[in-house]
Amino acid sequence: MPERRTDPLADGLADELKAIDTLIGDQPEHWDLDGQIPRHLLSTLGAQGWLCAEVAATHGGRGLSSRANGELTAHVGSRCSSLRSVMTSQGMAAWTIQRLANRDQSAELLPQLVSGRLAAVGFSETDAGSDLSTMSTTITLDGDSVVLDGHKVWVTGAYYADLLVVFGQCDGGAAAVVVPASAPGVTVERVADPMGCRAAGHANLRFDSVRLPASSVLGSPGAPLPLLVTTALAYGRISVAWGCVGILRACRNTAARHAATRKQSGKPIGEHQLVGRHLAELFVAEQTASRACEHASDCWDAGSPDMVISTVLAKHVSAGHAATGAASAVQVMASAGARDGHVVARAYRDAKLMEIIEGSNEICQLILAQHAVSTAE
Amino acid sequence: MSDQPTTAPVTAESIEQALLSFLEERTKTAVPPTQDLFASGLVSSMFAMELVVHLEQHYEVAIVGADLKLDNFRTVRQMTELVLRLRDASAAVGGA
Repeated sequence: MPERRTDPLADGLADELKAIDTLIGDQPEHWDLDGQIPRHLLSTLGAQGWLCAEVAATHGGRGLSSRANGELTAHVGSRCSSLRSVMTSQGMAAWTIQRLANRDQSAELLPQLVSGRLAAVGFSETDAGSDLSTMSTTITLDGDSVVLDGHKVWVTGAYYADLLVVFGQCDGGAAAVVVPASAPGVTVERVADPMGCRAAGHANLRFDSVRLPASSVLGSPGAPLPLLVTTALAYGRISVAWGCVGILRACRNTAARHAATRKQSGKPIGEHQLVGRHLAELFVAEQTASRACEHASDCWDAGSPDMVISTVLAKHVSAGHAATGAASAVQVMASAGARDGHVVARAYRDAKLMEIIEGSNEICQLILAQHAVSTAE
Repeated sequence: MSDQPTTAPVTAESIEQALLSFLEERTKTAVPPTQDLFASGLVSSMFAMELVVHLEQHYEVAIVGADLKLDNFRTVRQMTELVLRLRDASAAVGGA
């Protein structure tokens, strides 16, 4: 619901970002190479409310606006897209619970997500990606309990998660169910060697007759799948969009610093016009993505229906710019950035994945095209 | 379209009228209050979410949990009934 929130950026989120930087330190490079973020760091950030910072104060959360949480997301994204991906998952789980759950479920679950427990959200299956209507996971009502059967693939953060929010077919429609990762019948298997966001804990999940209390189903069973998925993905999209702004900030700053100091043919390479063009394009990309995200978040904070389409726009613009911007940054850095773990090398791999998840470039374009047609003057 | 909470008296007629205008503006089609918006293809899941956000903001209600079902959004009349019910419920507990 559109709960009115103040913008804490003005009240010193800058200090909080410094504290988060201290926790992150110089580790993102190592996390990328190891393919893991230390579990205790995620729990610490989670218990401080940073992984889903829009959860309301009434549930123990920080109650950030979409705009302030966006700035936080971009900041973390500029340091480490794997950590930012874990934030996206946790935030999407919280948002899904907030929207789909009844009051009692929210009161039970949301405080857990701001006290150190971690969550992930499962949509995609082997044969259900961009077209989720073919999803085969089932949630079967059985008296006081429900039984979950099926599988999910590439669930971001699931390797770390205590709670899994899983979408499935249910009672003639669809539902989302909250599953403890430790429940009998749940198998969590890491995705081996993901190309990007290598430490984000992507995992494939299998559910074999997982029996849960009926109260594990969020809201009412049988709701339309497209509406449930559209609702949940809206948060994932705005979060990924801001994460891409972070990727672009890191690329712009790293490339510009290098271009100002590295000399070839007697002058800093930034003064060579062809390199200068890369820097200009990086600046344009970062600024354009920032404005698209700010607009979308302002629509969220105002409770404007335009939040829906402006979020898809922001995701599409930011992911596309991040992918091309990261490639330019690697080009400018050349051998200085061309090794795994380096900030621009990570950006290059991570950004490409951002053009795929939470609505691929092509799916975003289909949605934007449909909007253009339906709103034509 | 207005994103601000309405200050006018809220009645079934006023909600219905406002919704018909909102739909006509967005779909470029005049719809009768009992037309099935989903069956007629006028409303996508993206637009359904816009409707949810619009109703929440305009009428200061929260549409969450079990109320987020298709039947509540199928026609303008059903959306009107949903808004009235949610406003009555929040007035009953001393809310908005």
